[in-house]
Amino acid sequence: ASGKETLLCLPETEQSTQRLLRFSLKPENAITIGVSARVLFNMEKEQHIYEQQGMEEYIKYQVEHETQPFSPGPAFSFVKALEAVNTRLRELYPDSEELFDVVLMTNNHAYVGLRLINTINHHELFIERFCMTGGNSPIGYLKAYHTNLYLSADPVKVREALEEGIAAATMFTPEKMTEVSETQLRVAFDGDAVLFSDESERIYKAHGLDKFFEHEKAHENKLLDHGPLKGFLEALGKLQKKFYAKGQRMDCPIRTYLVTARSAASSGTRALKTLRSWGLEIDEALFLAGAPKGPMLEKIRPHIFFDDQLFHVEGAAEMGTVACHVPYGIAQRVIKRETHDKETSSAPK
Amino acid sequence: MSVDSARETLYHRGEADMVATIQNTDVKQEDAHGAVVVAVTSRALFGGDDDDDVSGVGVAFPLLQALQRVNQRLLEKDPAESLLFDVVLITTDSQQQQQSSRIVSSTRHHGLEVSRFCFSSQEDFIESLLTNNVQLFLSTDRNEALQASQQGVLSALLDRQGAPSEQLRVMLCGDAVVRPDAGPAPVSRPAAESFSSRLGEMRRRFGALDSPLSIVLVTSSGDRESCGVALRTLRSRGLGVDEAYCLAGAPRSPILSLLRPHFLLGDGVIGLED
Repeated sequence: ASGKETLLCLPETEQSTQRLLRFSLKPENAITIGVSARVLFNMEKEQHIYEQQGMEEYIKYQVEHETQPFSPGPAFSFVKALEAVNTRLRELYPDSEELFDVVLMTNNHAYVGLRLINTINHHELFIERFCMTGGNSPIGYLKAYHTNLYLSADPVKVREALEEGIAAATMFTPEKMTEVSETQLRVAFDGDAVLFSDESERIYKAHGLDKFFEHEKAHENKLLDHGPLKGFLEALGKLQKKFYAKGQRMDCPIRTYLVTARSAASSGTRALKTLRSWGLEIDEALFLAGAPKGPMLEKIRPHIFFDDQLFHVEGAAEMGTVACHVPYGIAQRVIKRETHDKETSSAPK
Repeated sequence: MSVDSARETLYHRGEADMVATIQNTDVKQEDAHGAVVVAVTSRALFGGDDDDDVSGVGVAFPLLQALQRVNQRLLEKDPAESLLFDVVLITTDSQQQQQSSRIVSSTRHHGLEVSRFCFSSQEDFIESLLTNNVQLFLSTDRNEALQASQQGVLSALLDRQGAPSEQLRVMLCGDAVVRPDAGPAPVSRPAAESFSSRLGEMRRRFGALDSPLSIVLVTSSGDRESCGVALRTLRSRGLGVDEAYCLAGAPRSPILSLLRPHFLLGDGVIGLED
């Protein structure tokens, strides 16, 4: 009826062949980043329709607007930066599969699929792999494809992923988008309960900042245990070394930052020694000794910032940084607010 | 109903006396035009451990239960619904044929709604399929499935799977590649198109959530555009897809246990593990 020869066919355009030839066939060689639809694209309006009018209206709206691409969401610039790194890696190592592999991992119904595909086409993103699970949990698929990092707007899914040992974070939309580099990927991490375990954070929660600093100084030679995002930093480091090997240390398109409440004078040493013992380098370590992170992040302009404390995530988002919450460790169980000198910020997206 | 006596008064007698179809009068016979006729082999249905009186269930059992559940839900929505699954059980195995009454009683024992039992030889079973207007033939035997497919009957392999789902999950493989030197379209293409359209209609009786059936599209080697084309083509055939997975070269086996399809439809006959 449609005149096509087969039920399902692949248009063999030069472009699509090229895309596939570049594509990783062994997921375990690549650094796989799973992103949900709502963080990759701006789907606020549609989300509102879903919340107010239900699933059927939501799907109807999506299908009616199928040819209208979504505009970029908070993860968009991060994904573009990943692609920029890939381009540089392919120049240096044309046969290597050690690249970033971005997978769209959404539990949207495939009814929304064409709009998502049209949008990916429109923005010329290199996303060939996706899972649209039609309401089922995407966690199993994350595991099956060795996902190194999962980003979603849904904290429930993020928690599930963390419980399955997958690095994950809930991405918030900043109130304004600071301009970020298109050529250098910048990733910023909090230390405790993100790169490191929450063991020291517990001290801080129980006894306050000063005791925390004391304790860390006393234990500076004792390695911290690893946190949920250590593996991702490790993966970034592995790629960085590939640039160094080709003499591109000064011009490396990946830059990592540690942005921590630890103080350089006391507790910072333990963090740095731990990283060194893990064989991990971090390009810049910023010890804020408890000061707010927002202003520092605004200067750094990372594509993404990970923190276990909502307070820091919100603060960063307020100042234009794409901040992600890692719901891990003791900070999640503290219900009452600490006695900080801060105002309660409005809830982020 | 005594099958032996029913065999004496055949509903339909094939020329060589080797093809016989018996109606199960315990089960409401579906409207010939409305129903989606699905045929399953006895070998696929009864492969498990046997009791003295009753055959144990095999690979096709969860599938039949899922088909029944779809029917139940359809009838809940509309008691006069005619677009229902109509299950026909085909027995070609001569050993099983000798135990025809056992087949019928086992079916009843397991609570399965089979509307017709067909007994035919290995040579003539395709005739049974055609005569009974079978729209989908499911077998655990690849050769049987291929034969039927080559005669224009949409066929699929039933493979052993892990924990079956209650929801009927039909997986479609979206990887047929158009090459200029390809042969003619598969003989079962018209059957595939018509089945897709009926299945789509059935699916539309339910909303996006809480549906007793789910249509799952997997493209294994194609890129996202090929998946998009597959979605569009299926939609133009009247079949909406619930879940879509574009693997772009990644292996399929790691997610098969998550996808949990009851069977896989594609051009020709494809096994789940292929």
